[in-house]
Amino acid sequence: MTHIQTSPGARASGSDRSAGRRNGPGDGAPPVGPKRPGRSDNLAGYLFMSPWIAGFLFLIAGPMVFSLYLSFTEYNLFDAPRWVGLQNFTDMFADPRWRQSVEVTSWYVLIGTPVKLAAALAVAMLLAQKRWGQSFYRAAFYAPSLIGASVSAAIVWRALFSDDAVVDRTQKLFGVETGGWIGDPEMIIYALVALTVWQFGAPMVIFLAGLKQVPRELYEAAEVDGAGRWRRFFHITLPMISPVLFFNVLLETIHSFQIFGSAYIVSNGSCGPADATLVYTCYLYDQGFVNSRMGFASAMGWLLLVAVGLVTAVLFWSQKRWVHYEEGGR
Amino acid sequence: MSRNNGIDRRQMLKLAGFSAAGLGLTAAGCGSGGSGSGGPVTIRHSWWGADDRAKKIQQCVTLFEKKHPKIKVKTDFQQYPDFWKKFNTQAAGGNPPDVIQNAVTFLRKYEAKNVLLDLSPQVEKGNLSLDGFRAGLEKFADIDGKLLGVPVGSNSMALVIDQAVYEKAGITPETGWTWDEWYAGMEKIRDGQKVAGDVGPHGVMYLYDLILRQNGKAFFTEDGMGFGEAELLPYWTEALARVKSGIYADPKKVEQIKPASALARGMASGEFTWDNFSIRYSAEGKSRYGLAPIPSTDGKRTGQYLGSLMLSGSARTKHPAEVATFIGFMTHEPEVARIMGYDRGVPATTAQFEAYRPTDAPSKAIEAYETAIAEAGVLEPITPHPAGADVIEAAFLRIAGDLSLGKASPKDSVKQFFSEAKTALGSN
Repeated sequence: MTHIQTSPGARASGSDRSAGRRNGPGDGAPPVGPKRPGRSDNLAGYLFMSPWIAGFLFLIAGPMVFSLYLSFTEYNLFDAPRWVGLQNFTDMFADPRWRQSVEVTSWYVLIGTPVKLAAALAVAMLLAQKRWGQSFYRAAFYAPSLIGASVSAAIVWRALFSDDAVVDRTQKLFGVETGGWIGDPEMIIYALVALTVWQFGAPMVIFLAGLKQVPRELYEAAEVDGAGRWRRFFHITLPMISPVLFFNVLLETIHSFQIFGSAYIVSNGSCGPADATLVYTCYLYDQGFVNSRMGFASAMGWLLLVAVGLVTAVLFWSQKRWVHYEEGGR
Repeated sequence: MSRNNGIDRRQMLKLAGFSAAGLGLTAAGCGSGGSGSGGPVTIRHSWWGADDRAKKIQQCVTLFEKKHPKIKVKTDFQQYPDFWKKFNTQAAGGNPPDVIQNAVTFLRKYEAKNVLLDLSPQVEKGNLSLDGFRAGLEKFADIDGKLLGVPVGSNSMALVIDQAVYEKAGITPETGWTWDEWYAGMEKIRDGQKVAGDVGPHGVMYLYDLILRQNGKAFFTEDGMGFGEAELLPYWTEALARVKSGIYADPKKVEQIKPASALARGMASGEFTWDNFSIRYSAEGKSRYGLAPIPSTDGKRTGQYLGSLMLSGSARTKHPAEVATFIGFMTHEPEVARIMGYDRGVPATTAQFEAYRPTDAPSKAIEAYETAIAEAGVLEPITPHPAGADVIEAAFLRIAGDLSLGKASPKDSVKQFFSEAKTALGSN
């Protein structure tokens, strides 16, 4: 399994950076103690870190190296791994279910991420304005993100989107007769997309912070020049929050690739119907734990890591064209 | 950067020591508890099933613990597919439950991996008796001279039917009826009562095995597949047509109510499955559920054999004697039969068989059914299940379901199935 962690503080918005520069270490005396840290301090530091280091080595780094090895073997959990070279990878490309899983995942990422971010930005813009009950709304919109990743929310989702349940009946009021989405291979993926969009709270909060940083004068000046709402949005808001937008796009894209729990639970553990929710990790799990093909599953995991790495690299490369960092604190 | 002024180095080392000790304690806590030195021994028993079975098993365990105060039994259960995912992982990690519910599909697979306990030494030591089993059932899990499980009950494939629907349609299935008669009945039900005739049988490996056996073949041979594309393609093509014409239940609806049964929810009036399922459906559904014989091709041969749920021990168990004692209790104790009824099939030992006289309709139906097929003389020896049979069973079910939903053509589905079957036979 792969883990990609990005800490939310890793990339602060532009004005934070410039503020840091003004009060940086170069401006005053460095806050060091009376003497340089000695070896004993280092030792103590490492000792304090030791639970984390041990956890990292034995629970993350070790298994990762082992799974890299396994990805070149055939391994059924019981017999010793047998080296097969690149066969797992060639098998993958010849496997129609693997291609299906890539297709489903790409679809989910391509639809889910933009819609979720658009919803997050739209609500953030509404909540950025001063109005009565503002804190309540912020909390209310954030709440789904707190419970969203849980199993219970996915179970509720399955109930909501079944035949004759809330969604089906509401649709019927408007004359739309699709039946429950859960049993329909064409529709169930949208139930998953709806579940992720519903959890837009985290990117919303980050957008809110970004919106607060946009100087009011810019809007006032634009208004004087006769710029309408949309012009102000596209020419002021978007460029000014582009670093935050970039951060959110990056995070949500990576996150979307890793979808597992919601697909597994909403489909009752079948990743169906008809493989319609066979997201990449679902197939990985299926091959590893149901069919006992741990070598194949490891190979899938590493390929996912490479793919996510590539997408991330492309995003970073593209930011030159659309992300504007303020230079020298204006 | 800054120095820790409040705490000196000695204190810090002490703290670090404590945290290391804490890690050690956690590690120790992971080991399996309660071994040796006269205290009570704890064994773990895992099984698959639903809530009604859970209550019954718990009652049996309470009774067992009362009679054997030195043995404690911890239980847990999952749905059938989840059960095996969990067991696989536990077994691979060297920490499987001591006693598991098991079925013939898994025997060779786990035998090849040395996962199952050979119980024959325990029989020799007198911890487990093989006397008094019906119809030679004690040999059921005897694989290459090793006793890998003990049957708790025997069951057979049947057509579980919604009796209310069948009576209203005026259909009375009789031993020896044919597939054509069965199909005509389903048409009548669909046209007359707007209910599908069957849940959709074309993904049930054990039914297809019977159909193949009726035609002189079988699902598996000793080490591979016993049929080919020539057999499966017409079978699945016909099935797809029946899904489309409403003879088989709407797969979209069946999908949504899982893990509930489409038969118990009234979406279809019949399902081919093991006969003891009628007990579960009677607990879950609103109608009355009865058993009809498996239709035949020639008006005689059904290809049936006795199947069985069994209890197996884990080769890694530290308490083989206690495992054997528990398995012996579950198979021989008359009180267990009175608690379990026919939940796991008709009890395997004569003692238990005689201890439980069914009073409720579904159990009476099972007794009548099992007696009828025994008297009709249709029972044949079971076909072998090579290692990988479990994965193939799951693939057969899944791909047939995908076919119903229109994901792939019958031709592509058949191709996909044989490709997955080949992988499963090769890698297990």
